[in-house]
Amino acid sequence: MVENHATEPIIIVGAGHAGVAVAAGLRTRGWQGGILLVDAEKEVPYERPPLSKELLKPGAPEEPTLLRREKYYEDKAIERIGGLTVESLDRAGRTVLLSDGSRRGYHRLVIATGSRARALPVPGADLPGVQALRTRDDALELKRALVAGARVVIIGAGYIGLEVAAAAAKSGCEVTVLEFQDRVMSRVTSEPVSRFFESLHQANGVRFVFGAAVTAVEGTDRAERVITADGSSYGADVVIAGIGVVPNQELAEQAGIDSRDGILVDGHGLTSDPYVYAAGDVTRFTSPWDGASQRLECIQSALAQADGVAEAIAGGAPKTTEIPWFWTVQHGVRLQTAGVRHPDDETVVRGTPAEGKFSVVYLRNGRLSAVDTIGGLTDFRPAKKLIAEGARIDPALAANPAVSLAEAAAATDPKN
Amino acid sequence: MSNNEVNVIDREGAARPIEWEPEQSLMEALRDADLPVLASCGGTASCATCHVFLEKEVFDALGERSEDEIELLVDAEGYREDASRLSCQVGFESHLDGLTVTLAPED
Repeated sequence: MVENHATEPIIIVGAGHAGVAVAAGLRTRGWQGGILLVDAEKEVPYERPPLSKELLKPGAPEEPTLLRREKYYEDKAIERIGGLTVESLDRAGRTVLLSDGSRRGYHRLVIATGSRARALPVPGADLPGVQALRTRDDALELKRALVAGARVVIIGAGYIGLEVAAAAAKSGCEVTVLEFQDRVMSRVTSEPVSRFFESLHQANGVRFVFGAAVTAVEGTDRAERVITADGSSYGADVVIAGIGVVPNQELAEQAGIDSRDGILVDGHGLTSDPYVYAAGDVTRFTSPWDGASQRLECIQSALAQADGVAEAIAGGAPKTTEIPWFWTVQHGVRLQTAGVRHPDDETVVRGTPAEGKFSVVYLRNGRLSAVDTIGGLTDFRPAKKLIAEGARIDPALAANPAVSLAEAAAATDPKN
Repeated sequence: MSNNEVNVIDREGAARPIEWEPEQSLMEALRDADLPVLASCGGTASCATCHVFLEKEVFDALGERSEDEIELLVDAEGYREDASRLSCQVGFESHLDGLTVTLAPED
């Protein structure tokens, strides 16, 4: 076989933050070869976070910000195919089969297919009126359904569920959130933060039912009610399932690339196939900060991985990597988290939640592992720096909001 | 080719003009010009990776910074009270044509 793959393009599957950042990163590093970006969606690639935040608000603009303006792709000779997917991957021949039946060869393949909303595993989940929220079209459809008086039942009190709950309440809907756990955002934050946001939502008219196991969605032609294990029935005009996401790893998995709840990648985004990389929500990797195997749904991580992939393919220096971080805005209140908390981390509250502006500091073996900031960002950037340094912080000092986190770290006995 | 140009001084001190299209924030213009602006929050005043310094007259003519923006900036590398902005929070305005923007150092 003739080795002519250097004349083939880098094919990037998926045009979310990771995919577009790989394309941009290759050009920034002087990659001269072809770049082909295959996007399941037709539109110019756009920012996802506004979909569940700004875009759902009544009267807000319906166009999410673009990741790059349209002209950028032409200027950079990045070929963009919209509205097609990659159906399969021939690793031996280094080609992909597109959904229009055409086949394209690649020099390197980058899988940046992201994740999709986990489907509600109950009867009736496919009825019209049960909606997901991952794309611009999903968001616009949902926005049209959020009219005053509509009964909105949200399954799952995570980021997405709660952001939708806030937007729906703002639009005058009657909002019920059904959550299996006993508090909101239990997977990502601690009790004090959960309780704060629960109260905030309640004050804005949102009703919560905790310990609720959804068993069915019922209706004749479309969703009319949601049923839970205890036999309760919740009338619904719109049902939204926000019960997490699953990685879109099928392309890799079917081609025999190692995947385990995410495509497994190394520090440069390389998969078990030396010609195939992956970046973004679809990957599972070892945290450079604490060695944990993780799959993160996080733009910062997607961009850092994309940068690593571009570097591995085209060479050049990586950009500075940030500590993973996450944010949500609900009823105008911002929760911003630096680092990844573990459920057994020690929890220290800084400030008074009743005042609507406080932080929660998480300590693991005396070291700062994560910080939640609520209603303010004073602790956010210092926290990222201290987490990266593995700073030790005395819990009593951390509890005092009059002492900055940097001062608290500096005053902590390193042998603590 | 648009006439809306901004002069950018990068972290190595080199200056070059870039295009700034109406509808774009200054951050988007910098990013589309391949300047090393990470913008890891996509322009929502949540990170601070798009920190720039503006000329005094321009800085003064722009609106007040939000509390979030100030809280993120005060701890940023090289913070200057009379010059630091998150470029994602600076929208296009025709009178900004020809402005000089200096990228702040990376943390």
